[in-house]
Amino acid sequence: MNGKKILLIDDDESLLLGLTLRLRANGYNIVSAVDAISAITVARKELPDLIILDLGLPAGDGFVVLERLKTLADLATIPVIVLSARDPLGNKNRALDAGAVAFFQKPPDNREFLNAIQHALGETVALSTFLKT
Amino acid sequence: MNSPTFGSTPAIDYLPVSVASHPSYSTLSEEAVDPSLSPELLADLLDASAWIEILTTYGLTMNVAVSLTDCQGIGLGVCNNPQAVWSLLRAAVPLLGCPFCIPKSLPCTAVVDALRTGKVAMVRDQAGLTHVAVPLSIGKQPLGAIIAGQVFDRYPEALSLRRVAKNLDIPSQMLWEVARKQRPVSRISLQSSGDLLRVLGHAFVQQRYAAILEAHLAETNRNFRLLVEGVRDCALFTIDTAGRVTSWNVGAQRLLGYPETDVVGHHFSRIYTKEDIYNRLPEAQLRKASLEGHAENEGWRIQGVGSKFWGNTSITAFRKVAGTVDGFTVIVQDVTERRKLAIDLEGAREERVRLQDKFLSHVSHELRTPLTAIYFFTTNLLDGLVGDLTLEQSAHLKLALANINQLKEMVSDLLDITRIETHKLTVEQQHASPAMLIVEAVSTCQTNAASKSARLTCDIAPNLPYVWADPARVRQILINLIDNGIKFTPKNGTITTRGHAYTQDDNFVVLSVADTGCGISTENQERVFERLTQVIEGEKPSRSGLGLGLFISRDLVSRHGGRIWLESQPGQGSIFYFTLPIFSLAKLCAHVFTAPNLALRSVTLIAIEMTVVEHVVQADLLSEIKRILERCIRPGQDILLPSMSDTQPMLTFFIIACTDVSGFEVMASRIRRELEKFDNSSSLLLTITPTTLLVEPVPPSEKQIGEITRELDGLIQQHLSRNEKHT
Repeated sequence: MNGKKILLIDDDESLLLGLTLRLRANGYNIVSAVDAISAITVARKELPDLIILDLGLPAGDGFVVLERLKTLADLATIPVIVLSARDPLGNKNRALDAGAVAFFQKPPDNREFLNAIQHALGETVALSTFLKT
Repeated sequence: MNSPTFGSTPAIDYLPVSVASHPSYSTLSEEAVDPSLSPELLADLLDASAWIEILTTYGLTMNVAVSLTDCQGIGLGVCNNPQAVWSLLRAAVPLLGCPFCIPKSLPCTAVVDALRTGKVAMVRDQAGLTHVAVPLSIGKQPLGAIIAGQVFDRYPEALSLRRVAKNLDIPSQMLWEVARKQRPVSRISLQSSGDLLRVLGHAFVQQRYAAILEAHLAETNRNFRLLVEGVRDCALFTIDTAGRVTSWNVGAQRLLGYPETDVVGHHFSRIYTKEDIYNRLPEAQLRKASLEGHAENEGWRIQGVGSKFWGNTSITAFRKVAGTVDGFTVIVQDVTERRKLAIDLEGAREERVRLQDKFLSHVSHELRTPLTAIYFFTTNLLDGLVGDLTLEQSAHLKLALANINQLKEMVSDLLDITRIETHKLTVEQQHASPAMLIVEAVSTCQTNAASKSARLTCDIAPNLPYVWADPARVRQILINLIDNGIKFTPKNGTITTRGHAYTQDDNFVVLSVADTGCGISTENQERVFERLTQVIEGEKPSRSGLGLGLFISRDLVSRHGGRIWLESQPGQGSIFYFTLPIFSLAKLCAHVFTAPNLALRSVTLIAIEMTVVEHVVQADLLSEIKRILERCIRPGQDILLPSMSDTQPMLTFFIIACTDVSGFEVMASRIRRELEKFDNSSSLLLTITPTTLLVEPVPPSEKQIGEITRELDGLIQQHLSRNEKHT
C-alpha cells in the first residue's frame, strides 16, 4: 500500500467502478471525474500523482483536457495515461505529442496497464500478487 | 518472226504501278475492292463497246481474230477482223462457247487455264488450230479473257481444212478461198503478242475499274453528304489541315450554336475552352489524329452563346492520296448527362464505402466501452478482488474471459477491415524471430484450445532464419489461423503450427497451421480468403466469428511481401501456409552502399548499448529511443538497424554508417547528448562503441556488398552473443 493518488476521468460509471476496484487492490487511492469540466476542478483540488484520461468526454474532448492540464503550472507535471476506445492510429501519436506518457486502447490488458501506471509513477515493477490472469 | 515490239514482256503484278498510285484507287478502302463485285460492275467492266477499239487495233496489227469472253469462254460479241478467216467463220458460228474451239468445247480449256494461272494460255484444238487466251482480272477476282487466234496458223492443209469446213458446216471450197489469202502467224508470235495483250488488257481493266469507282465514289460522297447533313444529334464537320472549318452540318449548328456561314473558314478551336486553347489542346489533337489517324478527347466545350457543355470530340484524319492528310472530320457529342450520371454513381459508391467504414469504425468504438467494463469486472472477480471463488465459479469466469478476448479480437478485426478498405492498415517490419512468434501465438491460443479439448503442437525447424516482419501482425495472423483450426476441429483434434525454410524461394520462410478438422472442398478454397466469408462444410455449421480473419490475414501477408494459401481435402483437415521474407542485411543496406558513400572507404558499425536500471522496458520507451536515434543519423548514408535482440534489460541498437572514426565521434557525441536529454533521470547506462571496416574502393559490386554485409552480420552476432554471456 503506497497510497499514491490516481485521478480517473471517464464518463462510464461502470468502467470507473471496475477499474477503481482493480487499482485500489493494488494499493492506490482513487478519485474520479466524469466530464471535462469537473476533471480540471477535481485535479486542482486533489493534486493526484497520476491521471488516467478518457478521450470522449461530455463537455469537452479529452485532448482539450490534456492540453489544459499541461498549461496549468500546478498540474503540468502530473503524468497522464490516455485510456480510450478510439483508434490508436492517429490518436496515439496525438496524445503522446500533447504530453501523455502512454496510450491504451480499451480494453487494456490488466498487466500491461498496471506496468504502465507503475512506470509512470516511477515505481519498480513488482508483480502484484493479485495478478493471476 | 518475232517483231521487236512483241519482245518478251516482264512478269507483272496484277496491279500496274500506274494504277496502284492512281489517286482514286488509293482512297479505296478494303471494302471497296472487295472481290464480290456487283454483276452490274462486271458487265460494265467488260462492256464490249469500250473494248472494241483496243481489240480491233490488235487484231489488225497481228492479223488475228480477237474476242472478249467471260470466265467460261463464252464470247461477248466483239470479234472483228475483216481480213481474217474469222469473218467467214463468224457467220457460221453462233455466239456460244469459244469461237475458236473446234469442235466447240465449253468451257474453253485455254480460258480456264489462263484464269487459273494468271498467264497467257495457248491451246491447239483437234482441228490443228491454235488460239491464246489472255486472262483479265481485277484484284484476285477473274473477269474473263481475251481470246486471239486464227483459223489456220500456217498454209491450210487439205485435211484440216476439210475438217474445219465440216465442223462448221460450210463448203470447204469457200474456206480455202479465204484461207489462201491469209497471212500466216506463227505460234511463237501469237504467244508473245499474247503477253503484250495481257499487259494492255490489264491496264485497261484497271483504268476502267478506277473510272467506274470514281464515279461510284462521287455517288457515295453525295449520299454521305446527305446523310451527314441529316445528322442532328451530334455536330459533324470537316476541317482542313490547318484546322479551318470546311463544312458544317445541321447538328453542328444546333449543338455548337454557329450557323455554317459564320464558321466556315475559321479555326475550329473556338469550340474549346480558353484554358484548352491556351494549353494548345486543339493543335495537339490534330497532331495526334495526323499521326495515329484518330484522336478523342472529353471535356468542356463552348457553344456560340458562350455557354458550355461536356463534349466528346472525336477527330479522324482523311487522306486523298496515300500518306498525306487531306483534312479531318470532327464529331462532337454532348455527353453532359452521361458524365453527370457517372459522377453521381462514383459519388454514391464513395459515399457508400465511407458510410460503411464510418459505421464499422463506430461499431468497433462503441463496442469497446461496454466490453471494457465486462473485462474489468470479470478479471476482478477472477483475481479474487471481490472475494474467494469456488473452483466451478473460477472455471466459468475463465471461459467468460476467453470469450471476452475473442470478442476483443473481432472488434479489432472490424477496425482492421476499415483500414484495409481505406489503405491505412500498417505493418512495421523489423528483425523478428519466427520461432519466437510461433511459440507466443501458440501459448496465447492455449486457453481457447483447452476449452475445446484441442491439442496444440509446434514443429519448428532448427536455425530458422530471422524474418523481416511486424511481430504483432504475424502473431495476429498465426492466432487467427490457430483459432480457426480450433474452431473447425472436432474434440481431441490436433492443431500443428510449423515453421520451415521455403524450398521454392530461399528468400522466404514458410509458416503453416494444420488442423485435423472437416477440411474445405476445392470450390470453397478460393472463397475462404474473401471478405465476410464463412464456408459451411459438412452437416453442422460450427459457427462463430465474423469471417474477417482470413481476409485480414491475406492482406497482412501480402503487405509483408509474402503469400498465403491452403491445402485441404474434405474430411482430411486443412493446412494454411504463408510465407514471410527472410531478414536480409544486404537488402536493408542496399540503398546506402552506393558508389559515392563507399568512396569514403570505410563503413562503421556502431553499437549503442543501454542498461535500463530502474524499470522494465516499455514498448513506448523503445520506440522513443528509436525516434531519437533516427534523428541522429544521416538519411541516405546511415542506417539504424531494427532491434536485433530481445535481451533485457540490455538494449542494443546498431547503426551502420558510411563514415570513418572521426565521423563516428561526431555522431556518437550527438547520440549521447540526445539520449541524456531524453533520460534526465540518468537511469540509462549508455555505452557507444564503433567497429570500422575498411572497404575496397569503388565501384561497389554485388559481390563486394555481399561481403561487407556478411562481415557486418558476423560482427553484430558476435556483439550480441558477448552480451548474452554477460547477462
